[in-house]
Amino acid sequence: MSNARLLKKGLNGTAAYVAAIVAALFFAFPIYWMASSSFKSEVDISAYPPIWSFAPVFDNYRQLFTELNAWDALINSALIVGLSTCLAMAAGTMAAYALARFEIKGKEFLAFEILSIRMLPPIVSVIPMFIIARQLGIFDTPWLLTAAYALSGLPFVVWVMRVFIQDIPQSIEEAAMIDGCSRFETFWRVTLPLLLPGLAATMVIVFMFAWNEFLLASMLTSQEAKTLPVIAANAIKPKAIAWGLASAAGVVMSLPVVVLVLLMQRYLVRGLTLGAVKG
Amino acid sequence: MAKAGSIAAPPAAIGATKAVRAGEKNVPRLLLAPTLIIMNVVGLYPLLHSLYISLTNYNPTFGTSYSLIGFANYARAFGDTQFWHSVVLTLLFTAVSVTISLTLAVLLALLFNQNRPGFLFLRTFLLIPMLITPIAVGIVWRTMMMPDLGILNYLLSLVGIPGLAWAGSSSGALASVILVDVWQWTPFMFIIIFAGLRSLPRSPFEAAQIDGAGHLSTFIHVTLPMLKPVIVIATLLRIVDAFRTYDTVYIITRGGPDFATDLLSVYLQRINFRIFDLGYGSALSWIALVIILLIVIIFVNVTGFLKLVADKENR
Repeated sequence: MSNARLLKKGLNGTAAYVAAIVAALFFAFPIYWMASSSFKSEVDISAYPPIWSFAPVFDNYRQLFTELNAWDALINSALIVGLSTCLAMAAGTMAAYALARFEIKGKEFLAFEILSIRMLPPIVSVIPMFIIARQLGIFDTPWLLTAAYALSGLPFVVWVMRVFIQDIPQSIEEAAMIDGCSRFETFWRVTLPLLLPGLAATMVIVFMFAWNEFLLASMLTSQEAKTLPVIAANAIKPKAIAWGLASAAGVVMSLPVVVLVLLMQRYLVRGLTLGAVKG
Repeated sequence: MAKAGSIAAPPAAIGATKAVRAGEKNVPRLLLAPTLIIMNVVGLYPLLHSLYISLTNYNPTFGTSYSLIGFANYARAFGDTQFWHSVVLTLLFTAVSVTISLTLAVLLALLFNQNRPGFLFLRTFLLIPMLITPIAVGIVWRTMMMPDLGILNYLLSLVGIPGLAWAGSSSGALASVILVDVWQWTPFMFIIIFAGLRSLPRSPFEAAQIDGAGHLSTFIHVTLPMLKPVIVIATLLRIVDAFRTYDTVYIITRGGPDFATDLLSVYLQRINFRIFDLGYGSALSWIALVIILLIVIIFVNVTGFLKLVADKENR
């Protein structure tokens, strides 16, 4: 290789590293800033110019759990999101199996109908849900949000699990059935174990969207069934904004999802794209 | 697509397979039942109820009684300039934000597609924004964009640029919330396009290289056409989600200043849950639903989205 070409290659490499580092900084910096703000004292947080090194304090976290009732909200969030995720996973996987393995009249139309829930802006369905829930007396209960989140998780589960099921060769199931397994036994003992990675990835995504959801949670709850994002939004008052407290709430909310998803990275893409792209 | 019974069983086994199948007539219906129940009870029924409410003058602050008023709410909507301002703003927000995200995501995918040491590590940082709760995203960007105390203006001052008003000025507010949206959702488009890039076959690239095609022409004539399905899917999902953006804008600007960021969802929230004009709000919601459906239908037809998905599934 000539010197000129070698130089060009070296320059290209340097440019690539500069671009990659700038991109990583752009996307990571606000997260670093949130995490560090959550450990700053009232004085340090309003320092200007902003300070980079400070003595970490845990007041914000303490205040979050004592004054904002974050424990109740955390329990609500865990209960509502856990239940709705299980419901969406169970119902959606059953439907996905039916769509992937059986001949059904109007199958593609049905699949598209399920997908259309994904297109529905929540601001449209929140008003009727609000009215009906008040009439039924389930407003501000965990059940209402559980139902709403189960609905919004369904299209993901049906579409993604359908592709994961299609990826498992039908011949494996046929063989088990020839050996005398019933359809159910075949599913339980042969198909399900092969589906586990797909199930786990789909579950993480459904969990993530329900866990982060704010609009429905803020309008369909008032006191009893508040979730974490609603509590965090409460830290923002028009006059005095408690930045440290709000940052701590942000960290507490985001941590479980970040950890879960980074562990499941391999299968994430399939879930996010309704199964259309191999991850 | 795999079809039940499409794989030929050995002759002796056909009887056994059929025997199992005989009792299965209702199995698919049973399997679909829970999904259909949730869809109809939690999804469709409230939606139809909202269509009915949109034809009434329901407003719970004036008591629980209300009456049918026909299409008056819809007629009122057409003269509601504030509403159409929100529609235009939302379309602008969606178009600009999705275009920037898509461009950035493609560039980043090409960059990180080079196998260089350390790139895997750096790539992980690109995923985190989309995992953070939008409320938390709003909180941290609002702190960073404070005109007097915020870190962004401080960083600008280090390189000699005077501080900006960010979300505080009516001219900069929309740009500021677009910046936040781009920050949060470029990772989503990036990871999809990156995965698509990774799963492309090698041979067309080798052929292009033999033909002596440059980087740019390889990208335009080889990479881009093969990436189309992935780009189409990522863009469609992003358009739908950008159209309903609420959380971050609610935290950062609440629609202000001077309605500069009064996106559709923020305006609808105000009509429904501050003024409690639920009849009118329902009518507006239905108009919003029709608008997003039209956008999706046009997009799906122009790009052949359903065919692309079907092709992927049949592979």
